Amino acid sequence: EEISATVVAGHPPVFRWVKHVSQTFIPAVNAALEGSDYSISWSEQYGGSLAKVGDELEATEEGLAEIGLVSSLFDPAKLAVQNVTYFTPFVSSDSTVVAEWMDKLQANDADMKASWEENGLEYLGGATGIDDYLLMTNFPVESISDLDGKKIGAPGPAVNWLKGTGAVGVSGNLTTYYNEIKTGVYDGVIVFASAAVPGKLYEVAPHVTRIGFGAQYAGGIAANKDWYDALPPMVQKALKGAAITNRIAYHKDLDATVGKFLNIMEENGATVTQVDEAFRKEWADGMDNVAKIWAEKLDADGVGGSRVLKSYMDTMRDAGATPVRNWDQE
Amino acid sequence: MSPFEIGLTSFGAMVVMVYLGFWVPFALMLSSFVGVWVIKGSPILAGKLLALAASETISSYFFGVVPLFIMMGFIVSVTGMGRDAFDVANHMFRRVRGGLGFGTVGANAIFAAITGISIASAAVFTRIAVPEMRRHGYSKRFSVGVVAGSSVLGMLIPPSLLLILYGLLTEQSVGDLFIAGVLPGLLLAFVFCLGIFLVALFKPKLIGEGITDPYDDADALTTQEVLAKGLPIAALIGLVLGGIYGGFFTPIEAGAIGCSGAIIIGLLRRALTLKDFWEVLTDTGLITAAISFLIIAAQMYSRMLALSGVPAGFGNFVATAEIGYWGVILAYVLLVILMGTILDSSSIMLILVPLMLPVLALLQVDLIWFGIITIIAVEIGLLTPPFGISVFVIKSSLDDPSITLGDIFYGAAPFAVLMLVVLGLVLAFPQLATALL
Amino acid sequence: MTDFHADSGQAFLPPWFQGIRRIADVMTLVLNVIGTLLILAVMVLVNADVIGRVAFNTPVSGVPEIVSMSIVAIVFLQVAQAFRKGRLTRTDAVLDYIQKRAPRLRSLLEFIFTLAAIALIWQLFAASEPLFVKAWVRGTYEGTVGDFTAPIWPVKLIILIGCAALLVQLVLHAITSLFALTSKKGTSL
Ligand code: NA
Ligand code: NA
Repeated sequence: EEISATVVAGHPPVFRWVKHVSQTFIPAVNAALEGSDYSISWSEQYGGSLAKVGDELEATEEGLAEIGLVSSLFDPAKLAVQNVTYFTPFVSSDSTVVAEWMDKLQANDADMKASWEENGLEYLGGATGIDDYLLMTNFPVESISDLDGKKIGAPGPAVNWLKGTGAVGVSGNLTTYYNEIKTGVYDGVIVFASAAVPGKLYEVAPHVTRIGFGAQYAGGIAANKDWYDALPPMVQKALKGAAITNRIAYHKDLDATVGKFLNIMEENGATVTQVDEAFRKEWADGMDNVAKIWAEKLDADGVGGSRVLKSYMDTMRDAGATPVRNWDQE
Repeated sequence: MSPFEIGLTSFGAMVVMVYLGFWVPFALMLSSFVGVWVIKGSPILAGKLLALAASETISSYFFGVVPLFIMMGFIVSVTGMGRDAFDVANHMFRRVRGGLGFGTVGANAIFAAITGISIASAAVFTRIAVPEMRRHGYSKRFSVGVVAGSSVLGMLIPPSLLLILYGLLTEQSVGDLFIAGVLPGLLLAFVFCLGIFLVALFKPKLIGEGITDPYDDADALTTQEVLAKGLPIAALIGLVLGGIYGGFFTPIEAGAIGCSGAIIIGLLRRALTLKDFWEVLTDTGLITAAISFLIIAAQMYSRMLALSGVPAGFGNFVATAEIGYWGVILAYVLLVILMGTILDSSSIMLILVPLMLPVLALLQVDLIWFGIITIIAVEIGLLTPPFGISVFVIKSSLDDPSITLGDIFYGAAPFAVLMLVVLGLVLAFPQLATALL
Repeated sequence: MTDFHADSGQAFLPPWFQGIRRIADVMTLVLNVIGTLLILAVMVLVNADVIGRVAFNTPVSGVPEIVSMSIVAIVFLQVAQAFRKGRLTRTDAVLDYIQKRAPRLRSLLEFIFTLAAIALIWQLFAASEPLFVKAWVRGTYEGTVGDFTAPIWPVKLIILIGCAALLVQLVLHAITSLFALTSKKGTSL
């Protein structure tokens, strides 16, 4: 029996997370189904051909696609609790660990599960971890006071990380960072290495400071729930198994690249500096407790924000992370 | 029928409906609705595709400022700054036949440096240049054709939305791409002017029956007049360009700043009344609505085509055919131009570029050069029927109902041919793209 | 081109219909004016953001989000008026040819086209309604908690309003072409 499945991703396949859906997830599903009565005919719709970045959830929920690479980062209202990592910086810089534990929380945590279900989705797994965010600037950063009055571009939720530093956070996006720094609209950006190198950001912002904001969870693979529920159990199992394979392969690839990318930036004249514990602590302590503001907003909306926050922090501490600031314990 | 056949059929139906005179956005919507219905077997899903595209397509900061770029142009026009600029251009090119054509191309090249999207250029110069050219005896077709043609400069000369998109797709530096676009952009402007010059010399009737003949020196403006007419618009361009390259604001924000600038200059010149201003605002709104509605419908249509697999099928064919380096490049260019007849620019790039990347890596193609090739080829599609966005924008912005869509397509055709010439030159001499890097 | 749209002399239309149309046109115009003011608001907002950032180091939070929501609102508030004013793109070569030789056929074609458009916009309306309900019930927002958030439902509502207004104009247009088709002269369009 042939099942047809449209897979949607807003980013084009040059992005590592999309590439792995095509090159790891789909082949893994096919391999698991080989020799069985079932096979899947895939229609791969990436790069906005069916849904733009941030619209994958709705396309999958409405059934235009059966499977979506859903970015919780760009759907912060619908997948509110999934964004917990972006409101808790300085927890862990290991994206493999963050992704692994976030995937487990999606399966075990009641609020995490509920939020996928409310959107008519079945979470398959395959967490997209984002490597440690860096501060890249066109001026050297030796102390936090160096940031005073500087304009720093940052993706939506990361604007919060700049509050309390004296820097002016400007909500921006990857596509225009280069020009904005070059002309001086921004003095720097918060960005991850695997995006900074392809965009050659080191040319205009050669001072790379590893603040230790931490690795992040940006989303994962989800299926339309009605469609998934109607699938034979062995196909369901194949999908979830392939999602795990996908997560492991993606993060292995990511880890191998990040180290290389930092080297490339240095070879191209950038200075990469790692701040010490005192710097990091001063930064974290100077911030508003944005995690708490976020959790309380969710609590007020009837979602267990505080509970999820604690659950995530506990999970990460148990996994060996030593958060610079224990956002949940204040 | 297979989805592939459905895709092709719905395309055919769309073309017929457009030629019969069905509103273009509705023709696109109808063929996508029926197409998705047949492919997915559900009218409900087809409706959902329409609804999602309606709420998502234009919901971005970049689209949000398009009306402001259009409004800036209209204010320039209504306050007489546009006409003054043309008087200056006329003065400068007064010994050349077709001088206003030169002026339109030149002014577009300058405007291209402050806008990242061709539809803004098309809307603005329809208002500024077309009435002036008509007044000076240029033919309908030439007047709108030169505006359509030179509007493509908006996305070749940096900043450019399409180059940003290409940089994102291919992981190339947007900065490098911008620099690479400069020479081909200027070359294109030059070739346009050369074309106008040659036609004016050998076949002047094609440009207009009664063009006010070459201005003699008695008509020349005094230096004082040139300054008085040229300074306001120069100040506005200075404000916008200076602001962008001085690091005060982004090219996206430039539309809003430019609007304020134009309003202030208009008030200082006592040339902007409240009534004018309200008319400009209303007009901007209607044109924005018409263009955006069309773009939304085009997005529905391209999503239907994506589901049918037609574009990917053709792309795969080119990417996997073993036809050697130049075979691949030329087949790709041809495919882009063909797709340009029916799809919008960014859809073509999103479909084809990722598909080509692995092949390009094998052939060791310079991706910056390839980017410029892609942009020029994609932009030819702005001018080709049945789906040519620049032409549609000009039609929506025109005050003159006697100029038909067909007139604009005819008028734009020679410029599309000149773009082919420049495309050929950049293909033959990659240095045109890479020399400044 | 023959103007099938508003403001052209259409004496063959009965007074009651002209009355209805005047009311509908006023409503369309009101939406149009709101949309126009919204463009002005976007301009002021972006200027405030730039000036705030450059001169006072205090950018206005949420400008990209507000602008990207506003443009959708602007378009749907004005699309009915754009249609009424004949601004939606169409090729008129074939239509003009038919008009000269068989004006009634032209009216018939116009009627069929408009019916198809009505069916489409009805589909769009019906499929957009659940999206509005979802945004309303779930309280979804744009932006990021702690910095700036704005609810999405107003935009989804405006999409519905815009579709409804466009539907009204399309229905009026369909009736107009029907009158033209059945009127004695038939050519008066
Ligand atoms: Na440009
Ligand atoms: Na075209």
